[in-house]
Amino acid sequence: MKFKKFMRTYRPFTRAGMLESVAYRANFICFLLGEIMSCFIMFFVWKAVFNSTSGQDFMGFSMNDMVVYLFITFLTGYLTYSDGTYAIATEIRDGSIAMRMIKPCSFDMCFLFQELGNKIFNVLVIFTPIVVGVEAYKWVITGSCQFNVVNFLLYVVSLILAYLISFYFNVSYGFMAFYLKNLWGADILKECIVNFLSGATIPLAFMPPFLASVLSFLPFSSLSYTPVMIYMGMYSPFEIVYKMLFQVFWLAVMILISKLVWRHAVKRLCSQGG
Amino acid sequence: MIYVNDLRKEFKKTIKEPGLKGSLKALFKPNNEIITAVDSITFHVPKGEILGFIGPNGAGKSTVIKMLTGILTPTSGTCEINGYIPQKNRQKYVKEIGVVFGQRTQLWWDLALRETYSVLKEIYDVPDAEFKSRMAFLNEVLELDDFISSPVRTLSLGQRMRADIAASLLHNPKVLFLDEPTIGLDVVVKDNIRNAIQKINAEEGTTVILTTHDLADIELLCNRIVMIDKGKKVFDGQISELKREFGQMRDLHFELTHTDDFDKLVYLEDFKVTQDDVEIKNEGASVSVRFNSDKISVEDMLSYTLAKVHVKDINVKDADIEEIIRRLYKREVSIDEV
Repeated sequence: MKFKKFMRTYRPFTRAGMLESVAYRANFICFLLGEIMSCFIMFFVWKAVFNSTSGQDFMGFSMNDMVVYLFITFLTGYLTYSDGTYAIATEIRDGSIAMRMIKPCSFDMCFLFQELGNKIFNVLVIFTPIVVGVEAYKWVITGSCQFNVVNFLLYVVSLILAYLISFYFNVSYGFMAFYLKNLWGADILKECIVNFLSGATIPLAFMPPFLASVLSFLPFSSLSYTPVMIYMGMYSPFEIVYKMLFQVFWLAVMILISKLVWRHAVKRLCSQGG
Repeated sequence: MIYVNDLRKEFKKTIKEPGLKGSLKALFKPNNEIITAVDSITFHVPKGEILGFIGPNGAGKSTVIKMLTGILTPTSGTCEINGYIPQKNRQKYVKEIGVVFGQRTQLWWDLALRETYSVLKEIYDVPDAEFKSRMAFLNEVLELDDFISSPVRTLSLGQRMRADIAASLLHNPKVLFLDEPTIGLDVVVKDNIRNAIQKINAEEGTTVILTTHDLADIELLCNRIVMIDKGKKVFDGQISELKREFGQMRDLHFELTHTDDFDKLVYLEDFKVTQDDVEIKNEGASVSVRFNSDKISVEDMLSYTLAKVHVKDINVKDADIEEIIRRLYKREVSIDEV
């Protein structure tokens, strides 16, 4: 019953998000093209790296693994991307956050459900083609169907956890705008650091062992590296359980941080712009 | 219904010295100053009243409204509305209030207006039947039909304001906060909006708190006004009281045909009044006289002036609200000094 009430309150935000996302179709198409292009650029860079190495493998990755890694990382990064920092910082900067506070809903839930709505079409447009494409590629290269349903389903679960971690991380980060007033620079800095630390730029396995083990304990590896490795079947069942629990742990930490920051920040709100 | 007790809000403001050097200094060693935006305000509003909350720009009106709606946290003091403390039970509290900030919109920028209302219906849990009759009512008073299918970003200011007011009334709030709801609107739209406020107040007994710079809003709508300046309350009472005391000031403006004629006008001596009741300013050929119409009738003033001098152009108008506030505030100061 409580759940039903909860959904009734927040479903409209998802609907609003969906309607918003179709209001700017050209924007979405441009964004998608840009992302796909940068994905192919990475593909050709790594292809050059593999071509110039003597052996078949490069640090335990074959070229095939690398292709799967690149595209699944791209997909994961795209799906777990959260606009929270930017959206919240903008609302704080121009003061429109006040309009959210006069609505009878929880602040982070509004954002979450609105963003989910924003994402639905993007997910439909991008998810299936990439997964089908990657699996078709593997089939052609190896000559047999490699699709593993269990890994795929575990990937989806891990992906959802990763998105929620990303969301709460971004919300917490966005609240910094209460103190800094303008978050544009800090947001760019965050993107760079997170992309590197999460293994989205370079697989963590390619990094020096010490750095790799440090990074695997930070929350960032949960954002991208964990779900991708699960999809690729790189983890043993024990590792999968362990890594997912690790994700749940970081999710709890992020939710806690966002609540604490919100509680503290809201007192400092000074509602800019009249 | 609404109890505000000793409400106070302070902001920290960083003082920057001018230039790049000053900015750098402020970055490393900020020099903070505490600004008191709202200074110990106390008032009480009974159910069903329309309260006009007025004061000059920067007086702290919006800050008070923001504290009452739970957006800002007071530095000290309390406010209690419908038995809720806005900052404590925010989600429950805001379900029973409607808020319109004239300078912002609560509508979804990219959605058609109709969609916005159905989103709000779900958020506020409005039953279908009630939603239908409410929409019909709001449609009728605010004439939303012409633009209900357009995306909010394409609405004109007047349309948007009407839409915003409708949005704030959809869930039949017990208290309605309106922060400058008629700012920048034409006469017809203003009428529309005043009408809606009046109707909703009469039919549902909604308590309304309204800030405005338009004296007509106050005159047509409010039973009572609270006036603040520099964060302090300077007047609290019936509108008739205010008018009796301060609303009698008129401004007479005219353009002399011969600039030298100015010396012929000796209002103070001829009408035997003090400077409190007549205040004269002139700059070249243009003259403005502010006078108390209780002491000197408009007719006497005009006939005296026209008999003494030749004028090119002449008009009389009410002193605006900021002028009334200024006089009021000045009086307070002079009382303190005595």
